[in-house]
Amino acid sequence: MHRRRWLIHVVLRALSHRKGRTVLLLAVLAMASSLATALGIVSYSMEKRVAEEVRKYGANLIIVPDSARLDVGSGGLNFGVISEPTYLQQRQVEDALAKSALKAERSFHLRGALHHKDADIMVEGVNFSDVRRLFPWWQLTGNWPTAGEVVVGKDLADRLKLKAGDIMECAGKAQTMRLRISGIVSSGGEEDGLLFLALSDLQRALGLEGQLSLIRLMVTAGGETLKKSAASLQMLLPTAKVNEVRQTARTSEGLLAKVKLLMLMVTAVVLISAGSSVAGTMSTTVLERSKEIGLMKAIGGTRWEVMLIFCGEAAMLGVLGGVAGYLFGSVIAQFITRTVFAASAEFVPWFLFVSLGISLFLALLGSLGPMVSVFKLDPVRSLRGE
Amino acid sequence: MSSAFCPVKRERLLRMAENIIETNGLTRNYGDICALKPLDLQIPEGEWLSVMGHSGSGKSTLMNLVGGLDRPSAGSLQVGGKDLLALNEDGLARFRREFVGIIFQQHHLVPYLTAVENVMMAQYFHSVPDEAEARHALERVGLGHRLKNRPGELSGGEQQRVCIARAIINSPKLLLGDEPTGNLDHKSTVMVMELLKELRAEERFTVVMVTHNQEVAGWGDRTIYLDDGVLVREERMR
Repeated sequence: MHRRRWLIHVVLRALSHRKGRTVLLLAVLAMASSLATALGIVSYSMEKRVAEEVRKYGANLIIVPDSARLDVGSGGLNFGVISEPTYLQQRQVEDALAKSALKAERSFHLRGALHHKDADIMVEGVNFSDVRRLFPWWQLTGNWPTAGEVVVGKDLADRLKLKAGDIMECAGKAQTMRLRISGIVSSGGEEDGLLFLALSDLQRALGLEGQLSLIRLMVTAGGETLKKSAASLQMLLPTAKVNEVRQTARTSEGLLAKVKLLMLMVTAVVLISAGSSVAGTMSTTVLERSKEIGLMKAIGGTRWEVMLIFCGEAAMLGVLGGVAGYLFGSVIAQFITRTVFAASAEFVPWFLFVSLGISLFLALLGSLGPMVSVFKLDPVRSLRGE
Repeated sequence: MSSAFCPVKRERLLRMAENIIETNGLTRNYGDICALKPLDLQIPEGEWLSVMGHSGSGKSTLMNLVGGLDRPSAGSLQVGGKDLLALNEDGLARFRREFVGIIFQQHHLVPYLTAVENVMMAQYFHSVPDEAEARHALERVGLGHRLKNRPGELSGGEQQRVCIARAIINSPKLLLGDEPTGNLDHKSTVMVMELLKELRAEERFTVVMVTHNQEVAGWGDRTIYLDDGVLVREERMR
């Protein structure tokens, strides 16, 4: 029989001989690794969920032109500040985003006014595919526009008595357009008072080809990463102001940090108590088996060879405990996310390795002290039962 | 000068060929207690030496020392040409598995392994476990029908025979017996001793057997008597 096969055989025999103790150790290891796995999966799932929730709040970086400001006053009087509308070059922004290698959802905007029936109305040029991705909470009655179509904010539609299917004639500085209303949109915010049309159409109508007045970015990161992203973009766009939407960032960052800290603390407590339990049980096992250890040494086992058998037992328990822990942990994670967070946890296969690692680490670490005893045990004294 | 012609080394080599065990001033102290007082002893290869004495006379101490299970406090100890004092703990373990077979009074079998697996354990530490060889060893000691039984399912005599099979499986040059019949009835004692005699005739190993029993000691070629760690008498049986 191959030596390795024999070793596994002996390890399995030893474990099955002490069923009660083996089951106890397995239960401790499985419990520890399952809790660590469950909390890890919950944390991982919640991190993703929170990130998704944060996405719903909208952009977390906003880029606007650094407008020219002029103080207006006379003598000792100050009448305030006026600023001239300025724009950002679309190509310059795209280049800067490419250079920064920032992972972000983007949405380009141009705001302006179009003349309609003796009045000016506020309009915003957007790419509707970006809007749909970044602002999924916008509620639309009708359809998203195709070429030559627009959507009207709910308040504006009410004010002008517009409805889907109506044709609007709007005049810009450079061009007049006939636009068909494809739907009425509501966001619950300032967007309800605007008319939305394709970015390129508005740029042409206003004679502002390639110009933008606002860029919204949804960076999938928080805290320091977001700050660094804002700083690097600011360097690349000196004529712009890159603003971090701090509240959103802080909310997501704070929530995630608290959840993670809680998970880490619970996991640490569980692992420490499980480690102590394993160490205690393994010490008792070694003590009970001192004659067996002495015999193995007496018939020619070196200290390392005998220790290998006991390490093999600990490792086997670690592997079995890790697999059981992963399975239980996945179930517990589902239970926690469903009952506490009203969501379902993801099935994360690579957490099997985390569970195995934790269980093996605990089993071997807990066996460290007893292994030293195995190593040092004197065969003559242990055979005498001293 | 070539080592082959060095008179001192040559004499030593010749002596080695004759004596498997040589001790000079071999001493073992446990704290203030001197378990074995300076002992000069030669055991020729192939001899069956019985060691007798009362409890605490130093018999087991001597056996543990020559078996490489314990280290002397002073003196020299050569076994099979090896200076045991020069070996570290793992070196002694390797010496034991290569050179020594041990039969214990308490049998000391691994409780969760079957008879054949207990024999294979000694093979594992020596080289490679071989079930066929282990079965054969058990058949030689008359336990061919008890291969798959665990120690708890065997009688004292049967357990001792498993212990003997384990001791001889690696063809040791030296067989040590620590009161191997101490826990057996008369019938089992005779059976075990006859078995050892047969095996010794086949394998030609040297036997050092510690015993309280004069009758068991009579199976040997020579008996030494220890008292309070001192060799007090020697008796040649044949």
